Amino acid sequence: MSRRALITGITGQDGSYLAELLLSKGYAVHGLVQRVELEDPTRRLSRIGRIRDRVHLHEGDLTSFPRVCEAMGEVQPQECYHLAAQSFVSYSFDDEYSTLNTNVNGTHYALAAMKALAPACRFFFAASSEMFGKAEEAPQSETTRFHPRSSYGISKACGFELTRNYREAYGLHASSGILFNHESPRRGYEFVTRKITSGIARILAGQSTELRLGNLEAKRDWGHAREYVEAMWLMLQQPEADDYVIATGENHSVREFVELAFEHAGLEWQKHVRTSTELLRPAEENVLLGDASKARAKLGWRPKTRFPELVNEMVEADCGALGAAVGQTATVD
Amino acid sequence: MSQRKALITGITGQDGSYLLELLLAKGYQVHGVVRRVALEDPEHRMSRILPHLDEVQLHSASLESYPSLHHVVARVQPDECYHLAAQSYVGYSFDDEFSTFNTNINGTHYLLGVLKHVAPHCRFYFAGTSEMFGMAEAAPQSETTRFHPRSSYGISKVCGFDLTRNYREAYGMHASSGILFNHESPRRGYEFVTRKITSGIARILAGAATELRLGNLEAKRDWGHAREYVEAMWLMLQQPEADDYVVATGESHSVREFVELAFAHAGLDWNAYVRESSELYRPAEVNSLLGDASKARARLGWQPGTTFEQLVREMVEADCHALGVAAPEASRAAGA
Repeated sequence: MSRRALITGITGQDGSYLAELLLSKGYAVHGLVQRVELEDPTRRLSRIGRIRDRVHLHEGDLTSFPRVCEAMGEVQPQECYHLAAQSFVSYSFDDEYSTLNTNVNGTHYALAAMKALAPACRFFFAASSEMFGKAEEAPQSETTRFHPRSSYGISKACGFELTRNYREAYGLHASSGILFNHESPRRGYEFVTRKITSGIARILAGQSTELRLGNLEAKRDWGHAREYVEAMWLMLQQPEADDYVIATGENHSVREFVELAFEHAGLEWQKHVRTSTELLRPAEENVLLGDASKARAKLGWRPKTRFPELVNEMVEADCGALGAAVGQTATVD
Repeated sequence: MSQRKALITGITGQDGSYLLELLLAKGYQVHGVVRRVALEDPEHRMSRILPHLDEVQLHSASLESYPSLHHVVARVQPDECYHLAAQSYVGYSFDDEFSTFNTNINGTHYLLGVLKHVAPHCRFYFAGTSEMFGMAEAAPQSETTRFHPRSSYGISKVCGFDLTRNYREAYGMHASSGILFNHESPRRGYEFVTRKITSGIARILAGAATELRLGNLEAKRDWGHAREYVEAMWLMLQQPEADDYVVATGESHSVREFVELAFAHAGLDWNAYVRESSELYRPAEVNSLLGDASKARARLGWQPGTTFEQLVREMVEADCHALGVAAPEASRAAGA
């Protein structure tokens, strides 16, 4: 009888890669999806389109405790990967209340439902480098103090504490992955990396001439999402639950991403990129840089995709999607 | 100079009632948020502030309702807001995590959001707590010690602390957190171990009980007097810059020590009455808290005055007096 996994956020970037990984390992994969997604599958389920008939989808709203309980009881998972959240930092400034409601209550309900109905289930919580925020040391490790700078970061710190409390107080196998930024061709368009690469594709396709960005000097530690979900699975295979930073140990600025991406596309970025103060956040992080040595030592996990390869893969995927050609050298218009 | 206006949530609680008195003495116009159920039962639910009912303006609202808080703040337009209200009993937070979260996180969030909206120059105080340190990662604990909360209460307070700091950093609000270690008084709620002990002693002396059941006697806490701790809150809001401060005595004592002193002061042998019950243990205990309040001392000029022994004695005597029983002179019970 195959191992059963329940993934919240299965339709997202990480959820889709994780579902594929678990299917390849012979799991019975279940996902929690919202009603509105099931009603618009072509768009809303697009990342899991190819595996749609191999996964079991359960309709439910994370913020409804009774429904979360029902789903947990129906599936009786051995592993639960809680990836669903309002995950865009910028939006969390626009609507703090929904962000906190979804992210704090969603995590709390999942943990409580699991404790009540499937206490032997192993739980993964998607924590984030955004908890470090205005980081008090660099690089950041599992012992670095939190200083979140947005309601998103605050909500993730809360979820991290809840996960740890359920582990310590009730002995649940509950772990947090403190994942630094992880991208891919499946990244949401609102996130800066995808915004850049899809913006380049639209420029090449003649659909636009300009790309408006916020703080070009922000630095992040960027990895490939496909590799990061492997770390999630590895955490749940450990005899003891624990928390791990997942990161590449390198950071790069948005400006560097822009430069590499435009160069790969054969465009001059200064001709197309405009910075807009409106896109600056009320509170910025300074430098996020992760120390994943614990994951390397205990899980045997290491990142593989380097920054230039990540950038190129995303540029080519977006250009391919629009049928636009990618040049190798910068041209002068 | 116009009179300064203060709004206190949790005004009917221990801290709220002492703060009310402090601010009245300083000439503030004081307003309080009170739930409807409390307004309807003042003898019980507002007992700590009964002597001052005609000096304070009370407004009915609920921490779980953003519109009700908006309504009160817009009407009062406070210069200072002391957000003390919460589900504040750690034990209960294990029984009902969800209400604890709802009240403590949303209450804090709504208040910050409302102030930013309709009274952005109001100075805000958030009641942080040593329970945020929890399984403390250093001793003593200061403003830079990492958090490791061990209950949904502690977690909800970390969230409130983070929100308060975020509103300060992102929006420039004068919003501060006091990281207050345990603070007691004769007005402490009966569910808290100190008051449970001293009121239990009074009932034993009055012949109304023969036993006192307690949980972990080895838990150590840094205990101060609530009346002094609310002064620190006021001092924080008088600073030109908002900031976060630990407020503590710098001394740690076990529940066992509190029991020994309290029973000795009552002339009783505690071994004859106290039963340790593992049912009263928490799923995740906080073994030891000890606070470093040197920042508050240096920047606010605050320091604690009441010693542990004085605190214990004051609470024993107050509870005995309330039941009309005498507390004999402090002496070691024979055979102890």
